Amino acid sequence: MMNAKPSEPRRLHGLSWVFITASSMKGFVVPAIVVLIFSAGGTMASYQLLGGMVIIPTLIGALLKQAIYNYRFDAEELVIRDGILTKKERHIPYARIHNIALVRNPVHRIFAVASARIETAAGGKPEAVMRVLSIAAVEELRAETMQRSRVAATVDSDAEADADETEPRTGARAGDSVLLQMAPGELVRLGLISNRGFIVVAAASGLLWQTIDWDADWGSYYAGIIDLIPSWATWLIDPVSLRTPVLFGVAAVVLFFVLLRLFSVAWHVIRYHNFTLRREDDGLRTEYGLFTQVSSLIPAERIQLTTVRATLLHRLFARSSLDLEMAGAGEAGSDLEQHLAAGGARKARQWLAPLVEDDRTNALIREVLPEVDLDSIQWNPLSTRARRRIMKRSVIALVFLTVGVSATLALTPVPVSALHAIWLPLLGLPVTLLAATGWVQNAGYALNAHAIFFRSGLLTRNITIVRFDKMQTVALGESPFDRRRQMASVKVDTAGAATAGHRIDIPYLDRDVAEAIVERLYVEVRGTEYRW
Amino acid sequence: MTASLIDGQEHAVDPRSVTLGQILGVGSTLATGITVFTPLPITWLLGGISGRTLAIAIAGWALAFGGVVLFCYFWPKLHHRHLRYRVDQAGVRIRRGILWRNTISIPASRVQHTDVSQGPLQRRYGLATLTVHTAGTEGASISLEGLDRDIAFLLRDHLLPDDEREAV
Repeated sequence: MMNAKPSEPRRLHGLSWVFITASSMKGFVVPAIVVLIFSAGGTMASYQLLGGMVIIPTLIGALLKQAIYNYRFDAEELVIRDGILTKKERHIPYARIHNIALVRNPVHRIFAVASARIETAAGGKPEAVMRVLSIAAVEELRAETMQRSRVAATVDSDAEADADETEPRTGARAGDSVLLQMAPGELVRLGLISNRGFIVVAAASGLLWQTIDWDADWGSYYAGIIDLIPSWATWLIDPVSLRTPVLFGVAAVVLFFVLLRLFSVAWHVIRYHNFTLRREDDGLRTEYGLFTQVSSLIPAERIQLTTVRATLLHRLFARSSLDLEMAGAGEAGSDLEQHLAAGGARKARQWLAPLVEDDRTNALIREVLPEVDLDSIQWNPLSTRARRRIMKRSVIALVFLTVGVSATLALTPVPVSALHAIWLPLLGLPVTLLAATGWVQNAGYALNAHAIFFRSGLLTRNITIVRFDKMQTVALGESPFDRRRQMASVKVDTAGAATAGHRIDIPYLDRDVAEAIVERLYVEVRGTEYRW
Repeated sequence: MTASLIDGQEHAVDPRSVTLGQILGVGSTLATGITVFTPLPITWLLGGISGRTLAIAIAGWALAFGGVVLFCYFWPKLHHRHLRYRVDQAGVRIRRGILWRNTISIPASRVQHTDVSQGPLQRRYGLATLTVHTAGTEGASISLEGLDRDIAFLLRDHLLPDDEREAV
């Protein structure tokens, strides 16, 4: 192992501070704009505030980081030194490096630099991000990593053969197979289904609202509009009737939703441009992005939980979204694991496919969970008393709501009879009954030889799959209401579980059924060994 | 001892933990109560409030803190009655909760590591807390408090991962 000497320390590109500042300022852009717009009168003060409190410290931090950050090539590992007050030295063995992914946005391209992400099998979060390197430095990084990894591998194979370690790759290979490629049409659909951009459009509408002069002479506006539209439609514009404001109101709402969807479509088409999922030797890889290109590795063995999600809109298009929860970690108990846990990498949910046709969902799931066949699952229903429990809760809520509303109507000078509160239960009861019935019908669980499945949801339907060897603990919960009805819930804990999102959390089970599930899982887990 | 414990039967934790819980609860309540109360008689001595106000305040104080002290006396008993653990070859199961009950099963194969900790008062009573760590998220660390010290170490040894046990 003496054959490769450590190299001289390498530094970041001279313009790194620009990119570091830009990336840390990203989160401030929207609040900054808001501050500037809504501080009418004190604009100077807010500029100074912004400059003094945000930009200057960020700039100083970025310059310091550029001055301090360096890396060198040791015999067996890449050593990265970082940290302004707390010095950090990270050692990444070459053999662990699976990929050096590049992120290049248009600004990167102008300066011939790139942000390099060093990926290991950890999945989720990159092991290190070098922001930014010149293209020459990237080439050197790739070449050194590959060469030294090979040397290390040769030395290793003398001592101890390790099947897990493969040499790093820097691009797709000919043998890789593409599992999913999203055409522009599919991305448009994804944009229509998703609700991305609500905040942006809402904010824009809010600003527009502020700029409208409500005291203006609307009559002359109407007259101008009448000249513009064909004669058969002029009856719609009537300066005296209520018809016109209502029409404009409806038009504004429609426009708002159209804009929302348009923005969402644009965002998805750009962000997920050419989304590709392909199989490689040691896992799956997703690549996407028009301006900012993203490439990330999904090590199949690190997948803790898989969810198939379909909202009402998804089902209209006969599509689903598939996402995965990963646990970022090296061998359990290693420094790497703790490092990643501290970096929050354990909370990573990532796409397997943002959108896929329903008839291909099963095939795609089988790529990551070969022993799972969603089509042949025998779903077990929840307790037969589940609907009654839900209805009871809804009825109590409705009673309180009705009493509250009628009391408010009676006690305040609103010119509506308190008796009108009766509409709440009259309409609410059938709706909740329908919803509860539908929910219970759609909920269910299943166990096969390798995994547990749970599905739930009425409008947005989720199916979550956890393999027995990825389960951690199993909890049986009994609320006082559960105990009254001899019922219980079953919850499965996994590594790296996100706080949001669908989990294995099965409510309203008969107690004996719940106990049987827990017992079965306990036995199944006993027979498997957990590997990160 | 080992055979009698790893039997797949439910066990209660050590009854001394009730006494410990009572001492801690009542003690901390009294300490807080007295600290909060002290300014009143001083104010009275200095002539800031009348004797009648002081009497009413004392009565109110006694009632409120009496209630809390009673609660702190009975709560550990209830807690103890509803805390059970069960150990078998496959792992450990802990049942707890008075109104909302939760039974958590920890398979031995998922135990990352275990801690046995003892506070100063726990040491005095020969008690210990066993904490089991898993790779999970919600159940990342699960504690079982109020165990006899020797039993805690015994459980810890039982739950040690196989390879570590061999190494030791």
